[in-house]
Amino acid sequence: MSTLSLPQTSYIHDRSRTFAEWLKSWLLTVDHKRIAILYLLSINFFFLLGGLAATLVRVELITPQGDLMSSDVYNRAFTLHGIIMVFFFLIPAIPAVLGNFLVPLMIGARDLAFPRLNLLSWYLYMIGGVFALIASVFGGVDTGWTFYTPFSSTYSNSNVVMTITGAFIMGFSSILTGLNFIVTIHKMRAPGLTWFRLPLFIWANYATSIIQILATPVLGIALLLVVVERLWGVGIYDPALGGDPLLFQHLFWFYSHPAVYIMILPAMGVISELISTFSRKRIFGYEFIAFSSLAIAILGFLVWGHHMFVSSQSVYAGLIFSFITMLVAIPSAIKVFNWTATLYKGSISYRTPMLYALGFIGLFVIGGLTGIFLGVTAIDLHVTDTYFVVAHFHYVMVGGTIMAYLGGIHFWWPKMTGRMYNEIWGSIAALIIFVGFNMTFFPQFILGYLGMPRRYHVYPPEFQVLHVMSTAGASILAIGFIVPLIYLGISLWKGAIAGNNPWGATGLEWKTSSPPPTFNFDKTPIVTEEAYAYPPEAAERDAAAWRPGSPL
Amino acid sequence: MAEQHTHAHAHHHSDKHTHISRGTYYRVFAALMVLMVLTVAAWWVEKNLIEMPGWLAVTIAMSIAIAKTVLIVLYFMHVKISSRMTQIYAAGAFVWLMILFVITMGDYIARGWPPQAGPLP
Repeated sequence: MSTLSLPQTSYIHDRSRTFAEWLKSWLLTVDHKRIAILYLLSINFFFLLGGLAATLVRVELITPQGDLMSSDVYNRAFTLHGIIMVFFFLIPAIPAVLGNFLVPLMIGARDLAFPRLNLLSWYLYMIGGVFALIASVFGGVDTGWTFYTPFSSTYSNSNVVMTITGAFIMGFSSILTGLNFIVTIHKMRAPGLTWFRLPLFIWANYATSIIQILATPVLGIALLLVVVERLWGVGIYDPALGGDPLLFQHLFWFYSHPAVYIMILPAMGVISELISTFSRKRIFGYEFIAFSSLAIAILGFLVWGHHMFVSSQSVYAGLIFSFITMLVAIPSAIKVFNWTATLYKGSISYRTPMLYALGFIGLFVIGGLTGIFLGVTAIDLHVTDTYFVVAHFHYVMVGGTIMAYLGGIHFWWPKMTGRMYNEIWGSIAALIIFVGFNMTFFPQFILGYLGMPRRYHVYPPEFQVLHVMSTAGASILAIGFIVPLIYLGISLWKGAIAGNNPWGATGLEWKTSSPPPTFNFDKTPIVTEEAYAYPPEAAERDAAAWRPGSPL
Repeated sequence: MAEQHTHAHAHHHSDKHTHISRGTYYRVFAALMVLMVLTVAAWWVEKNLIEMPGWLAVTIAMSIAIAKTVLIVLYFMHVKISSRMTQIYAAGAFVWLMILFVITMGDYIARGWPPQAGPLP
């Protein structure tokens, strides 16, 4: 398994002699792996920016008075946090980084079906990001990431049009990525790789791509209409002009609720890979996990009205939406139970990616179950727009998506770079993140249940203890995010050579060298067995190889 | 892209791929122009000649618009000569559009129910 040096040629190496040539070879690349690296760098940059905005919010909330910033600046701070994190981090994170890198590798293809379109989607992402950043540099936007009308379309004096333009352009990046994945998965699977031999990460990305293609245009139209109303006074959302503000909420959540599944479905795909690999077992209920991804993608389109229970939407519509919302719990629970059943009697090794995977399951269960609370109209009326909602969606998005993103980055880091990270620091960071995360967001459930509304920076003094706890947790969480940056960075120079398959995992991506050559495989692989075909004795071999102090 | 597939690809297409002739494009274009004239004419007739209820005017306008959409999707977007998979995807998109319309309109229809809704008498 251990080899002494990195492969002579790989997608990272190139023959450029000058810096300009080297830069060009990256910025005009059509290699899916290089584009994934471009995404990795840019998405992490936006994550840090979104984190800075979150820091402003959390620091302000240490005291009950508004002493760090005015209400107006506070509005802009949490809006910046929301927009950057949702549109420029969470939505593209796993599909654009891990998906781009892994989809062709996992299905035994040389690249995605449309490599140039892939590069275009990165440029669109960057252009959208630049628009959003320019908008924030020139004063920001104060509508919240939801851009609710008529505030956004009529009353707000902030940079609504500029920000919306950014989100609009970024939407096309998302659509193109989804399109590329669907065509690639349909057309470019290696010989023998039938649908039911696909890794579950591929199924998850396929379901995600369907949402990206079908939902994103609706957001684009909804936001475009806000701009049309703002600039030309065409009555679409403003009642004074004959429009209906709720129409915006319908259109917005028709995208933005499925968007939650754009964030969580690929995360679930990552978790399936991790759980199976580090339990040394074939996944329990493969077909159920695969189809539950599709079920979540489809049901996700039928529940958007649960964001509108108190919006003067018809109570009958609310009733139906509430009922269908309950149905989403079924495929989600199927996944959790199947992962748990996979762990049962497995040879579990607590490597860093597995720590993230186990953290994901716990946090996602809390996030998902509180989602059921919120889907019940009677409870939702009580906690609408409180910190309970904030805590709920952070448990799903941060506890779900970011845990899986980090778990996936660690798991495939040896494949991406050819080198291992420091396992001890990896485990420490994973634990810091888990503790910091819970300390940040669990108090927010209590705050919300006691009535602390979201989006306010002045609050009654009795809430201060919980807010201080939350801010303290956020500081721990921030340390947890910075530590991996350091040891992953160091590993690029100092890390042990990983070899092709450091985890002893199944899957085509582990059959090629690390880092892979430009066209992934020297010879098109032929698949003859199911995914996760760990032999029954794999667990026994692992146990026999264990030594005191070994991380397995 | 992948060499091993281009072969199968070409074979598959030579079976199914029928070409849309230039003449058809021109005929579709002419039909679209006629439909555009019809759109304007329908508006003009409603405005100046015949009093008609709103639902009828909307139905007429929507029918013409749907006819245009179908022509564009089938011919200009090549769905008519595409593989069955592409056709399913194209149809699927419209199913999704129906979900958006039907459920949203459901809210609008039911919003006034019950007539004396409200927490206080």
